Amino acid sequence: MPTPPRALAALAAIFATAAVSSAAKPLHARIDRLIAAGHAGYETQVAPVSTDAEFLRRVYLDFAGTIPTADETRAFLVDTTPDKRTRLVDRLLAGPAYARRMAQVFDVVLMERRGDGKVPRAAWEEFLRTAFAENRPYDGLVREILSADGVDPKARPAAKFYLDRDFEPNLVTRDIARVFLGRNIQCAQCHDHPLVESYKQADYYGLLAFLNRSFLFPNANAPNAVLAEKADGEVNFVSVFDKAKKQGTTLPHMPGGKAISEAAPPKGKEYKVAPAANVRPVPAYSRREQLARAVTAADNPAFARTAANRLWALMLGRGIVNPVDLDHPGNPPSHPELLDLLATEFAAHKFDVKWLLREIAQSKTYQRSSEGPAGDTDPPPERYLVAHLKPLTAEQLAYAASQATGQTDADRVALGKTATEAGIDARVAARIGPFRAVFAGQPGAPDTGAITTLDQSLFLKFGPSVRGMIAPRPGSLTDRLGKLTDPNAITDELFLSVLTRPATADERKDVTELLKAAPDRPTALNELVWALLASAEFRFNH
Amino acid sequence: MPTCQYSCGSRDHRLSRRGFLGSTAVGAAAALGTGGFASSVAGRELGKMQKRVLVIFLSGGVSQLETWDPKPGTDTGGPFATIPTTVPGTRVCELLPLTARQMHRIALVRGVNTAEDEHGRGATIMLTGRRPEAGIEYPHIGAVTAKLLGSDAQTLPGNIQVLARGEGGFGKQDAAFLGPKYGPVSLGDGKPPADLLRPAGLTDPADRQREEFRKKLNDRFAKSRRSAATDAYTESFEQAERVFRRSDVFDVTKEDTRVADRYGRHDFGRHLLLARRLLEAGVTYVKVSHSNYDTHHENFDFHIEQLGEFDRPYAALLEDLAERGMLESTLVVVMSEFGRTPKINHLYGRDHWSRAWAVALAGAGVKGGAVVGKTNANGTAVTDREVNGGHLFHTYLRAVGLDPTKNFYPNDRPVPIADPKAAAIDEILV
Repeated sequence: MPTPPRALAALAAIFATAAVSSAAKPLHARIDRLIAAGHAGYETQVAPVSTDAEFLRRVYLDFAGTIPTADETRAFLVDTTPDKRTRLVDRLLAGPAYARRMAQVFDVVLMERRGDGKVPRAAWEEFLRTAFAENRPYDGLVREILSADGVDPKARPAAKFYLDRDFEPNLVTRDIARVFLGRNIQCAQCHDHPLVESYKQADYYGLLAFLNRSFLFPNANAPNAVLAEKADGEVNFVSVFDKAKKQGTTLPHMPGGKAISEAAPPKGKEYKVAPAANVRPVPAYSRREQLARAVTAADNPAFARTAANRLWALMLGRGIVNPVDLDHPGNPPSHPELLDLLATEFAAHKFDVKWLLREIAQSKTYQRSSEGPAGDTDPPPERYLVAHLKPLTAEQLAYAASQATGQTDADRVALGKTATEAGIDARVAARIGPFRAVFAGQPGAPDTGAITTLDQSLFLKFGPSVRGMIAPRPGSLTDRLGKLTDPNAITDELFLSVLTRPATADERKDVTELLKAAPDRPTALNELVWALLASAEFRFNH
Repeated sequence: MPTCQYSCGSRDHRLSRRGFLGSTAVGAAAALGTGGFASSVAGRELGKMQKRVLVIFLSGGVSQLETWDPKPGTDTGGPFATIPTTVPGTRVCELLPLTARQMHRIALVRGVNTAEDEHGRGATIMLTGRRPEAGIEYPHIGAVTAKLLGSDAQTLPGNIQVLARGEGGFGKQDAAFLGPKYGPVSLGDGKPPADLLRPAGLTDPADRQREEFRKKLNDRFAKSRRSAATDAYTESFEQAERVFRRSDVFDVTKEDTRVADRYGRHDFGRHLLLARRLLEAGVTYVKVSHSNYDTHHENFDFHIEQLGEFDRPYAALLEDLAERGMLESTLVVVMSEFGRTPKINHLYGRDHWSRAWAVALAGAGVKGGAVVGKTNANGTAVTDREVNGGHLFHTYLRAVGLDPTKNFYPNDRPVPIADPKAAAIDEILV
């Protein structure tokens, strides 16, 4: 459903004062202006623009979830046309890997590595992939998810957000607030938030009131459970701090928003389908049905703001509001005007995800090098002076390692004439499992990209997944390297394939010496590939 | 040997453990440096004094009436008799004959009331010393002690859990805001960590050479890009290397067979022996689970079996630690998520019961033979010196020389290490 134009106009008016001077400029230019604004000495502290190789690897990982082949890297590096970065961005956004990457990202955002008891993983991933391949407006996608009840088998995957949280009302309330409204109001379940003044208990229950009449039918344990709803039931709450135990109640409403008024249906007409044994009741008036519209409506600015902030954080490695689910006056955005601008423009462009990502990718801010100006190794992260190092997700790591070691190429060779992108992708996807088991976040918690546990380093060091990828197979990197004799050619192929950059003179020298001294060249090549794969440079999107 | 070849100077570094034990507050994000304490000079001797913690977790909820606080001859007492111990006046259930001979090393806390009869929440209370709260997860005792007692120079991980066969092994989140670095490494059925052993076909020289090359690459990358994240990544490989070099520690078959016999040749015996090896090798915290005490029916038969398995290795462990001079530096806690109902149900079972139960402590900082707290004649209520999970948590930390009233600082916000509403049980501390 399109955003009401009147509300949009109101949003635009709020923003007009800030935007009036540069409204004609594209968003990416305005991003850069607002990042630099008010920062004394910005020009001297800011990192230079990334090298072509750095940019290529970064944008590939962000938009395709993997790294480019050595040949793609070579082609990009020799390209001298001035708009090659923008063309690369456009090519990646149009490519098939984009939808897969975004499906992986939003799977984690929406489900946080929870189980797949009620909606199978494959169907869910396909749902997300299709949505991002079609570039479905983000607000529409969220409405689809929040209005799904799981009844229609074709639309069931969209109900995963509810169903695989077993529709636990407090959990669903908490996560709607965190994921779509940028605020973790869990503390407000029992009382007004003790530390965050704007998180009110009544707001928590206002959200819960959309859901409190709904339940899983036939029961919460059934794998084929669907959502059902009663026609009555209010939310009641008492602050645990209130000695008088005064009971509060509220109609459904968004945090800080207006209550949704409801007329009592005539007596005897409360249900379209009345409750009975083994019957899924359908009320005449559904509270839950109001939720999707209320969350995404223009008079709920938290929605666009949170969405824009999350996409920004995905690209830049840090939210303007950081962490992304703690938006409140006590934790102000690092760049409030910029956040308003991104939110307004995202809404004005009908929540076009590709458009926003494309604008961010074209900004100088996104294209900064991760190497800061000499001498400063500790710049304040919220100023975006230097590109953040983003640890690869479990999925990026699996795909990038597959590509780097040439397993993806070997798959292509092995599939021969029958090779299709989907067929190759299926083979790579089959290798993700072990990576997820070790590198994915904990179920129900945000993926922090923690990268310091023993099982992770042992997995990379000695584990069979990585070793299996490095072992030579026709078309794989070690296979290709084995056919080369010139040490410089070997070094170049190695570095372009794994680290997406040419080797430095020092590195050429190191590899040459190492190979000269090696008693067994195939082993030496294997372990060289491993060393690059296990390096910090590979582990991070830098 | 230095871990990184560049100089360490970022704000996340160089906060010493001694600084923590002293009066300075410390950031929770800080990686605790060693200050040369654990690793260097006369390291072995100092190492002996390095405090450690072993938690033996009797999963499912052990019966206090069949162990530490028997009530023979009452309506709730059950069929078993009591036996005298090495502590005059202290009697325990007859199912613990070998433990009874160690009682002079053990302090009993008999007035525990944790007021939570659900397994998961009960375990959380016992392991974090806090009641579950919306909006914040507190780190478990293992993560807390690994962080505060351990050092970065330690060879082995600071926090290891030995899981019973088939027991779920997740737990990195147990470290909460202290970070997964302090979360437990799990040894399922006492087996070494996955991928610990070098694969066939990778020789030692080849492994060393590739490591050298990897480090060179990292140094170049980190020269202008170093961050806490790159440091942690680099360090994790160092740790993996150190653990790999000590993989014998995980192998209980390296023990003298007579020692193994003393612990008993069953899973739990093997797991406790492994725990001792790990503690001896410098692991700060080890948790060993023994399953399963959730005896809703046939409570008495089950406790004969379970405690029959528990008694021998537990007694052997205390004896063994004492012989090796490790007991005075190792705190050994026997806990559950709760106890069991005094009332015997119609299936001869006992149900979940958190209102009046008992915990046993021994070793570092603990007054052996002490008994604190009392329950009434048939064990249905605490009548003297009631304590909860918070008091116990304070006590564990104090026993190993830490100050539980200090704060962690996640996101620069002070969070008391132990629940400020509780305090240590001084009566059982030396």
